[in-house]
Amino acid sequence: MKNFNYNYVILFYDVGEKRVTKVFKICKQYLKHYQKSVFRGHITPGNFLELKGKLKKVIDPEYDFITFIQTMSESSFHEESMGNTGIDPESLII
Amino acid sequence: MSKSNETRYIFSSGELFQKDFSIVLRKDEKNIYLPIKDTRELYCFNDITLSTKMLQLLSKAGIIVHFFGYHGNYIGTFYPKEQLISGRLTVAQALAYKDKRMMIAGAIVKGIARNIYFVLYHYYRHGKNEFKDYLDWLRKDVPNLVDKTNDINQLLRVEGAIWAKFYQSFRTILPESFAMNKRVKRPPDNPINALISFGNSLLYTKVITEIYHTHLDQAISFLHEPAERRFSLSLDLSEVFKPVLVFKTIFDCVNNRKITVEKHFDKKLNYALLNESGRKVFIEAFEERLNQAFEHQTLKRRCSYKHAIRLDGYKLIKFIMEEKSFTPFSLEDKK
Repeated sequence: MKNFNYNYVILFYDVGEKRVTKVFKICKQYLKHYQKSVFRGHITPGNFLELKGKLKKVIDPEYDFITFIQTMSESSFHEESMGNTGIDPESLII
Repeated sequence: MSKSNETRYIFSSGELFQKDFSIVLRKDEKNIYLPIKDTRELYCFNDITLSTKMLQLLSKAGIIVHFFGYHGNYIGTFYPKEQLISGRLTVAQALAYKDKRMMIAGAIVKGIARNIYFVLYHYYRHGKNEFKDYLDWLRKDVPNLVDKTNDINQLLRVEGAIWAKFYQSFRTILPESFAMNKRVKRPPDNPINALISFGNSLLYTKVITEIYHTHLDQAISFLHEPAERRFSLSLDLSEVFKPVLVFKTIFDCVNNRKITVEKHFDKKLNYALLNESGRKVFIEAFEERLNQAFEHQTLKRRCSYKHAIRLDGYKLIKFIMEEKSFTPFSLEDKK
């Protein structure tokens, strides 16, 4: 799976209260806010490195946990959801 | 699942401001975060408040903002500081206007004819035999006519004739309620004219964005007179894409009843104006078409129509700088 061009990422974070806003602020520059601690969206490999670098500086590796799931595009996975998000962060028209 | 888009269309009124080096839209007391690294352009169709701080960030990130008025009319563009500047190309482009204007303008007119031919050929194949004369004229006579002209006004007459005949063909393709007698602009006076005007101005802004990402100078155009006030080069480059992107979207929306006169037009204004839901339907269909990918024949890879616009810009640069022949995008050859 190494030689693929990943262009889409789903990010989950679980960080200490003090660092939540810091992580949130960084993520929202790159990805769309999808759920309380979940971001996702298109990202270029270059921007992905940038994002990881920035996050690395903020988190405490002892306590915090951030995970990225990379896929080729939003069409390469199937998704089911329930309930209502309020605003759709990904719609074309706001 | 919604389609990814680097383009956001803002229909609600609100305030755009910058927070933590990113874009936030404040709407009904709620913040909507737009990731700055995944935004290419914004379209504002409603009252939007912006501050210079926001513009500063947009400019730094190279994000273009297009503004539209209450009636969906194009107002203007926030054009960030140009990052791709090439003096050499600008000089060459201006010289090309002097020496090679007819070649480029002619290639564009031929491109229009080719794309209209291919769009209408679909209907001809499905039994609309009345197009035969027009199609033959487009394929055989137009290239000859273009080659023979050596005067820009003559060429513009040919272009005018192509479009006029194309509009007449609408009678056969579209239902009665979208009948078209004459192209009327500023302001359009019936549903079909309104659709065309709206579609064309959307395409025009898309081309501005694409040209922004090349080294070309927006003001030096070839087919259209390089007038003041306007970015006329994008009028030139948008021309060949009109049949492919705007008119195919219109045919799709109208014939598949996605847009109807009663539901999606303003009744008070004699149905001469798209209402908000009509605009949304059209934009969605248009955006989908732009992002549709096809197999590019010279590049040998998948490429979206949006990208094809930029490739046309590159072709023009190649022609100006390296004398490679310029053939605008052709739907038939897919290149």
